[in-house]
Amino acid sequence: MNEHLSSEQISRWMIGERSAQDEEHARECPECAAKVARFESAIALFRQSVQDCGERYARPDIPLPAGVRRARRSFAARPSRWAPVAAALVLLAAIPIYTNSRERRRQAEMARADAALLEQVDVQISRAVPAPMEPLVSLVSWNTSGASHTGETR
Amino acid sequence: MQPMAPVATVAEPVESLQLEDFDQVVSLYWPRIFRFALVSLRDQEAAESVAQDCFLRAHHARQRFRGESSVNTWLMQIAVNLVRDYCRNRRIQFWKRTRALAPDLDTVSRSIADHGVSPEGKALVKEQIEAVWRATEKLPAKQRSVFLLRFVEDMDLLEIAAATGLKEGTVKTHLFRATETIRQRLGDLV
Repeated sequence: MNEHLSSEQISRWMIGERSAQDEEHARECPECAAKVARFESAIALFRQSVQDCGERYARPDIPLPAGVRRARRSFAARPSRWAPVAAALVLLAAIPIYTNSRERRRQAEMARADAALLEQVDVQISRAVPAPMEPLVSLVSWNTSGASHTGETR
Repeated sequence: MQPMAPVATVAEPVESLQLEDFDQVVSLYWPRIFRFALVSLRDQEAAESVAQDCFLRAHHARQRFRGESSVNTWLMQIAVNLVRDYCRNRRIQFWKRTRALAPDLDTVSRSIADHGVSPEGKALVKEQIEAVWRATEKLPAKQRSVFLLRFVEDMDLLEIAAATGLKEGTVKTHLFRATETIRQRLGDLV
């Protein structure tokens, strides 16, 4: 493995000037990879803090000089900023409705399944003999009716 | 190796933005210009003043904007010049001003650090943020501008060159020196 990345190499890495050897070294050396990652992370945190700071310290009612129409409006007056909030509220409100609707559908399906089962049970219990014996019954019936017929003719 | 930290995602400037619709220009770019001025000057009132002046000048000069650069770069160019002028004047005004309107570093860093996973992690994050803020403040003006435009405003070298009036090679040199200085000042924190 090559020597560890120098401070200069890490700084060059940060500004996008890293060589193939630097990248190869960082892939193989956890220590240097961690150093690069920590520096990147510190810069990313700084960037985030600046962005937060910009929002925190920006007053919503800065009067722009004459000649420039005031375009900055307060949060409340900017529908685009309320849109995600409104969307979230609608979504939250819709969840119970959606859940209820799903529950109703589920109950209806269960009721239909119960009815079908009961119907099937009714059919089963109305049979004189179990279903597998039905062919025998018809056979017996045919014989019986045949014998009766013969008896009558006799 | 950990992945590269994501570069700040700022709303992409609308290149075809019509400067006639100046309301839209102001609402779209005000946060960036104000943020750049605030972190450069560390003074809320001065940052507001610079941002206002920037848009006033842009408004007056809008007929001369030929679209050779993006609106963002053009506005940043004005802002960089205003910040530089303000810094020159500030030397004279130094004793007249109070720093009461400077961003409170403790508050700024704590809000980010609160997302840390452990008390030690939070403390380290807070310390890192404050260290970079302090290190940035001590950078020479050009290095600071270049550093902020690159790492906060996510501008590339050519855009920074256009905004600062420097050559691309000079921008790269300033950026390297700024980054190296900040890295050294962070010391054991990174």
